Amino acid sequence: MDQKDLLFKQIFDSNSKKIFHLCYGYTGDADAANDLLQETFLKVWQNMDKFRQKSLISTWIYRIAVNTCLTYLRSEKRQAKDELTETLIETKTEEYSEKNEQVALLYKSISKLEENDRLIITMVLDELPYHEIAEISGISEGNLRVKIHRIKQKLTELYNQHARL
Amino acid sequence: MQDFENIQSIWQSHSVELKISSEEMLDQAKKEVNAIRTKSLLNIGGMVLSFIAFSAALLYFNFDSWTTNLGIEIVVLAVAIYTILLYREHRLISRNDFTEHPGAFLGKLHEYQLSRFNLYNKLYWFYVAAISIGFVLFFFETLHNLDTWIQVSIILFTVLWMVFCATILRKAFMKKEKERIDLLIEKFERISAQFHEK
Repeated sequence: MDQKDLLFKQIFDSNSKKIFHLCYGYTGDADAANDLLQETFLKVWQNMDKFRQKSLISTWIYRIAVNTCLTYLRSEKRQAKDELTETLIETKTEEYSEKNEQVALLYKSISKLEENDRLIITMVLDELPYHEIAEISGISEGNLRVKIHRIKQKLTELYNQHARL
Repeated sequence: MQDFENIQSIWQSHSVELKISSEEMLDQAKKEVNAIRTKSLLNIGGMVLSFIAFSAALLYFNFDSWTTNLGIEIVVLAVAIYTILLYREHRLISRNDFTEHPGAFLGKLHEYQLSRFNLYNKLYWFYVAAISIGFVLFFFETLHNLDTWIQVSIILFTVLWMVFCATILRKAFMKKEKERIDLLIEKFERISAQFHEK
């Protein structure tokens, strides 16, 4: 294994799970999340030499992943996001349990948010520091705080609305 | 009624399983390209087998008429030229590794698609014309002593088979291949785009 392979393996091992969770939150589907993970890390692999260490490598990877997510479902050949997310989330609730139901409800609620909001909230849920989320999403920290407050409220509202049904 | 903290704990309690390693991930990406390469190799393999079969007929059978020899020679030549063209195309996608040189590979993939289109359009008709002339000359001697109905059946079958290959089969093959390469190009362009923009 050469140095590039070793470095990539380290980067993949320490970031892939978080990125997969981000993609999973965005699509609500494990297969699509896997595709997005693959595309994200292919970009990482091909552009490792372009990483200038001005930010954390995880921030750089998140930025790639966010861009990948946003362009992925916009591609003409993909299904409409709501159709995709809802169908797939429904299939995930086969094994009934209270926890599974809560998780399915959460993904369903996230899928109702705007595309950008979905990505921001998944990073918030994963407890990424606000300054990092601001850097990844290209929004000033002040604006981001306001935005996050609004998204949190919206998500909570959606979740409780679905839970009542 | 849940508040955001509860929702966050639900999110964090849902552990996602990642069953792929970095090596597997890169291999998976290569697999899609390898599928096209394998198909192209199988195509070449089939043509090489045809070349060997026709050449063997020319070498190991003694035909009385010059038309038969000329017919087979034309078929052998047409198959050989087409095989060389297929091999040249194959080299376009076999030399670069997408995971290492994305830009170069994407360029070659575009070139491959265009070349395939030409091969199965304009050049294909030259190939069919050559094969048809070859078979007509070949049939002069070989069908001579057979009953008329057998002669008609063989000629009819050959004509129908060639028409089937040149129309339905060719179009279906081209459509399927175009879709597959389009998808790959779309994906690779998407992957390359983010860094081109900067």
